Amino acid sequence: MRILAVGAEGGGSGGLLHSIRQWMADSGAEIESAPDLPRAVRQLGAGRWQVVVAVLGDHADDDLVWWVDTLRGASAAPRLIAVAHRPSMGLVLRAEKLGVLDVLSLPVRRDDFLRALRRVRTAPEAAVTLPDVESHAIGQYVLVGQSPAMLEVYKLIARVGPSSATVLVQGESGTGKEVIARAIHLNGPMASGPFVAVNCAAIPENLLESELFGHEKGAFTGAITRKIGRFEQAGGGTLFLDEIADMSLALQAKILRAVQEREIERVGGSETIPVNVRLIAATNRDLKEAIKQARFREDLYYRLAVFQIRLPRLTERGDDLFLLTAYYARHFAKEYGKRIHSISDRALDLLRNHAWVGNVRELRNVIERAVIVATDEVLRVDHLPEEFRGEEATLQDRPEGALLALAEIEARHIARVLAHTNGQIGAAAEVLGIHRNTLTRKMKEYGL
Amino acid sequence: MSGEQPLPPVRVEKALGLLPEIEALAPLRALLVSISRPDERTLWSSSGPYLTLGKRGVQPEELRRRMPQAFHVITDHLQVLYRAYVETLECHQRGDGPGAVAALLRAGRGEERVGRVGQARAWYDVALRVSQALQDRRPEVESLRSLGELFLRLGQHAEGARHFQRALAIAEAEFDQAGAIAACEGLGAAALAQSQWAGAQAWYARGLQLAEATGDQRQIGRLEHHLGVLARQQGELARAGEHLRRARECFESTDATEEIAGVLNMQGLLEGQLGNEAAAMAAYREALAWAQRAPRDAGLEVAIRLNLAELHLEAGRFLDGEEEMRRAEQVAIAANLTSRLVQIYMLMGKLRGRQLDETGFVFFEQAVELSRTLEPSPAAEAQVYLEYGLFRERLGQREEARACLERAREIFGTVGDSVDRRRVEAELEKMAV
Repeated sequence: MRILAVGAEGGGSGGLLHSIRQWMADSGAEIESAPDLPRAVRQLGAGRWQVVVAVLGDHADDDLVWWVDTLRGASAAPRLIAVAHRPSMGLVLRAEKLGVLDVLSLPVRRDDFLRALRRVRTAPEAAVTLPDVESHAIGQYVLVGQSPAMLEVYKLIARVGPSSATVLVQGESGTGKEVIARAIHLNGPMASGPFVAVNCAAIPENLLESELFGHEKGAFTGAITRKIGRFEQAGGGTLFLDEIADMSLALQAKILRAVQEREIERVGGSETIPVNVRLIAATNRDLKEAIKQARFREDLYYRLAVFQIRLPRLTERGDDLFLLTAYYARHFAKEYGKRIHSISDRALDLLRNHAWVGNVRELRNVIERAVIVATDEVLRVDHLPEEFRGEEATLQDRPEGALLALAEIEARHIARVLAHTNGQIGAAAEVLGIHRNTLTRKMKEYGL
Repeated sequence: MSGEQPLPPVRVEKALGLLPEIEALAPLRALLVSISRPDERTLWSSSGPYLTLGKRGVQPEELRRRMPQAFHVITDHLQVLYRAYVETLECHQRGDGPGAVAALLRAGRGEERVGRVGQARAWYDVALRVSQALQDRRPEVESLRSLGELFLRLGQHAEGARHFQRALAIAEAEFDQAGAIAACEGLGAAALAQSQWAGAQAWYARGLQLAEATGDQRQIGRLEHHLGVLARQQGELARAGEHLRRARECFESTDATEEIAGVLNMQGLLEGQLGNEAAAMAAYREALAWAQRAPRDAGLEVAIRLNLAELHLEAGRFLDGEEEMRRAEQVAIAANLTSRLVQIYMLMGKLRGRQLDETGFVFFEQAVELSRTLEPSPAAEAQVYLEYGLFRERLGQREEARACLERAREIFGTVGDSVDRRRVEAELEKMAV
């Protein structure tokens, strides 16, 4: 094992480097040191290291983020042991989230250090062969999956496809709403026409109208040429309005008119233009809730929801995860000119235990990244993002039934809720059912 | 405690639309931008990859809570100005002219730090007027230098050069070595900005000669760095590498962390140009590490991250490139670096262009908006239109491409940037074929 100890030489670290050398004397480990982060970067670039022991400075939180960022680009993906003076609970939780191997308090105790090192597993990971996956290709998009939940979706596509009914596709982010919309288009009467997709949430609000309906030259500042809108572009085909809930009420009214009357007017124009498009809308929001909050027009909802398809979360799709992993691994291996035929059992376990907030899109990203960093034909834990490695460390250290201090449970829960509310204390206090002052006090107490 | 769902945050594009363009509100505008956050729900949604500042959210309640922060910035700033003025008066009263000029210049720098360049100029003008009546001419050199730097910052290179020229003449007459070196540095920068390579070379070399005579390692390092930048621009890569190596040695001997980071950033660009991808990557990584040790300079960090992102993009590693750009965006937003945000969004748009992704136009639209409103900069706006035009062209939208390029040509013409204007004209000619 090669260990790089950084900032561990001075008296401020309590002679940590000396201690590490003593503790590891019989282990055969190779230990080198660097005075600070910049010099350590040079050493990291010059060789492969398994572990970096970094003594964090006065701004431990900032230092930790810099270290994680630095190691992300280092070869051999070394694991980080962060050492700090009196680390706060916040620092520990952040470190865990960032996939840091461990956070130790100064002065470092031998047992703590050796226990942290034991977490760097060196045992071989068993390879699980990735199957050849049959996919339903829709241009550059694919449908992969055989779970009962997805079979239901396929049946719905088969039912609605041949009609020209308007369809509302609902599902969490990354579940594949656009792929389904394309499948419906290709199985429908307008398959020979264009499929035009508009992401309503991506386009600045002041430009969305002209994007959809087009504009005449000089209609507004920036209208430097005449523009044909997406409704017209999609003529004889399908217009896919993604993230429809993000549209202003004023624009919703115009969409409603276009859907009802099948005609539009360009911004700044006076001519009425007939449009012949099949409309498919999609959203990751609860439209009924949006209607209650007066953020979405009820009449438009009923116009769009003629036929509804709800897509399952990735976690509801059982072993589709394995099939999707196999599909993306082979897909990206081809793209990056690599040969990948297996995934390690531990890596697969981590994928199976992950929460997948971003569903298939997140899985696709994770696999693409893993394929890029893979050095042989097997995808391993080390190829997964840091947070997965953090999850592994947590699982490993906390066997079922392990007891946690009440304060730790509370701190973890508060941290999770804060992450969920985007750090908004008021909203977090509401979720937790406590007064915001109490929450602020607890955050201070736990160093969150 | 109500069981109602908290209201969703207000989009920044909406929030800024409700904020009048009044200078007194600039700190509030800055606070609003810096506390904005992406909506967690959009991070993995299909609009996630297109997220820009305008689509981030802000909670009015949080803005209210953090308003004291803005008041603090305002009072701090005003205190700097008021104290500087009182100090000017006190110096005047006791006949300390140089002290008065120093206080006035300090106030000007305070204005520059918060982006109030017009106000900074007013302070510098008073400082110059006061300094011209003094027997000691070093304060005049200092005032001229401050004005010269300000003009360069405004893109008025000829005017900047004129001020540095005067500063140099006086400094040499007064044997003010430090003033003369700084003036040479300024003249070199003005020439470089106008693509006058020979002139820049001569001024930097002269500055270096003077600096070597003083033995000031930091100053020598700065001039070696400039010469390295210049050599790289001229395509003399080996010479550039030599200058940068010497610059780094000088900075390392004085532990000038920020300058080391800057040199390594340039080294990264050079290595990239030489096709040494691994060396470029190592240089950027080390630059970031030095930047972390230096007093926080968000602008430098963003610059390094953008170069790193470009390196990833050139190598076809789009995921890594995008990730680095998002990190840069985060830093730029937190530090309210609008001009850097414009660069970031331009680069994101370029990335989408390479992927033939039409929705990438949202990044250019955001960049245009930022260069017009938050920190108006015609030169930046022209650059955005140039890249926007190239993006449209790549997607085969020739009419839109031409319109964007013509707009860029028009703005470059207005700001007197002939180099970029010629570049745009070349692109337009290519399109006409």
